[in-house]
Amino acid sequence: MERSILDSIGMEIVGVMSPVSICMLLVVVLVSGLSPPSSSIDSSSSSPATAATLVYLESPSDPPAEKLVGALLNAAVFVALVTAVTFLLVLLYYYNFTGFLKAYMRFSAFFVLASMGGSILVSFLRRFSLPLDAPSALLLIFNFSVIGFLSVFSNAVPILVRQSYMVALAIIVAAWFTKLPEWTTWILLVALAIYDLAAVLCPRGPLRILLNLASSRDEELPALIYESRPTVSNHSESSVELQPQASTRSNPNPNPNSDPRQTVSSRQSFSSSTEADESIIEIQNHAETYPLVSTERGRDQPERSWSDLSSSLGFSEQDNELESTRGIRLGLGDFIFYSVLVGRAAMYDLMTVYACFIAILSGLGFTLILLSIYRHALPALPVSITLGVVFYFLTRLVLEPFVVGASMSLVMF
Amino acid sequence: MTVAAGVGYALIGLGPALSIFVSVISKKPFLVLTVLSSTLFWLVSLILLSAAWRALLPIKSTATWPYAVLILTSVVFQEGIRFVFWKLYKKLEEILDLFADRTSKRRLFLTDKLQIALAGGLGHGVAHAVFFCLSLLTPAFGRATYFVERCSHMPFSLISAIISLGFSMIHTSSMVIAFNGYAQKKKSDQIFVPVIHMIASIMTLINLAPGGCVIGIPLLCLSAAGTLLYCWILVSRRLRESHGRPAT
Repeated sequence: MERSILDSIGMEIVGVMSPVSICMLLVVVLVSGLSPPSSSIDSSSSSPATAATLVYLESPSDPPAEKLVGALLNAAVFVALVTAVTFLLVLLYYYNFTGFLKAYMRFSAFFVLASMGGSILVSFLRRFSLPLDAPSALLLIFNFSVIGFLSVFSNAVPILVRQSYMVALAIIVAAWFTKLPEWTTWILLVALAIYDLAAVLCPRGPLRILLNLASSRDEELPALIYESRPTVSNHSESSVELQPQASTRSNPNPNPNSDPRQTVSSRQSFSSSTEADESIIEIQNHAETYPLVSTERGRDQPERSWSDLSSSLGFSEQDNELESTRGIRLGLGDFIFYSVLVGRAAMYDLMTVYACFIAILSGLGFTLILLSIYRHALPALPVSITLGVVFYFLTRLVLEPFVVGASMSLVMF
Repeated sequence: MTVAAGVGYALIGLGPALSIFVSVISKKPFLVLTVLSSTLFWLVSLILLSAAWRALLPIKSTATWPYAVLILTSVVFQEGIRFVFWKLYKKLEEILDLFADRTSKRRLFLTDKLQIALAGGLGHGVAHAVFFCLSLLTPAFGRATYFVERCSHMPFSLISAIISLGFSMIHTSSMVIAFNGYAQKKKSDQIFVPVIHMIASIMTLINLAPGGCVIGIPLLCLSAAGTLLYCWILVSRRLRESHGRPAT
């Protein structure tokens, strides 16, 4: 039977949405599964001193104005830190300190998996009072982290393992971030969305510089990035099929897998689609970035195989580039902050979780559609976070009384 | 009776929707996106409705008429939303056909259109079940359960799960019926959908009477079954017709 066009459209969008959904789901399960014991021994007072609570540590008894100011200050400091770290990264990348970056990122990926993952494991064991002796727990954590550490860097590891470790990293960091006090979380999310917008779209935004550098050097972006590369066998068939369709751009769901950076023609079936309009954009893109990197060209190029970098707590600097040389790629920071939003919503009620979940996924879908129209790297946080925050408060303030009121009297429609 | 009960209620409310999703929807990414956007649509409509009703809630009086007004406005509004959704779908269908022409593929089959309608309906149904049943299930996962005074025969979660089951089926199949009605310009189908939605909602008004749920909920399930039957007959007739003549 002839296949209809429905079979192929939207493959990439769903390919990105499903890991995001899995990540959010697991964070919600983690948050709602682990929170009951800590709520009995006032969790808010035991919230950790992280980079996001440098200035002000919220306590529930503070008046709203103080909370607001404190949260704003926290967010400002955090964003400033993130910006500083990102510029540092850009600087290091610009001067080809890739060996150092690589080592640093290796260390931090291992560190996150081992320490934060370990602490989550411990609270999990405690919550369900599972007996596990310390040596086996240590062995488990060590093995888990070592595989993660290896998979983050080498291309030899199966893509599925790599993708799962990306999601696992995001879950761990997001679960950590949900321990932040409430007001700080909300303000921080909004601030990061704005930062993301500026960093990717401003002409001198750090992430934009990073992206341009990476594209002009024909390298992978030096960041922890989830690739929805369809290397799983059942996917590859349809991805090949998608190729001929790349010519239409007016469609709301074309394959948004193409990007000015199509030149990175590495080993992928995706990169075979170069068309007239794309190559024009390519040339322009290169023309505008050449001045920036022309001095770099002579130096030794870092090897192609290194792919992903991370930084321990400042993950957010990589948050956002949706860009795609092969498949859609989504920064790990997006995963983290989507999940933080949903995890924070899970502390209120399930209804807010569903509303935020739908809002974030719609925002992501909208961003992907925008990506297919504008065809350069876009920040993935702003639309989703805005929608998520708006839906959270609408649900909490408006929807919930209505739905609960109606359904408690068993009147539904 | 803790986690098992919660999962059980959730499966009563969402089981059929889940099986439709797994067996039909999840195979085609486009349908997944349709479900998602339809869910968003329904959620937005619910938020708008609740914003309009926010000032008047909670209804203190024991009289039935405020609820009747609420049901009436909600159903009318949601049917309006369905029409908007249809209009959007119509645009999308044109774009898809254009896309198919350009890539020299087949245009949408009849089954594709039916599947899109099914996905749209499923989105509405799932959204209903999620917000009216799943999100209220939190107590059911704990050690206790919750009973409503008016209907002390069954736990509240069970009632809401059954009601959600009925409504998710009604939403799912009535979207198929409505899309067919709009596409073929058949007045009877176009009117059938709001009417059955209204009838089903009025059935829940019976629950307001003490012990009324014993009557109201079976009636609701009956109307859901009726909608499903109607949808079945309609779809099989369309499929037979399209088999009769060469595909256009």
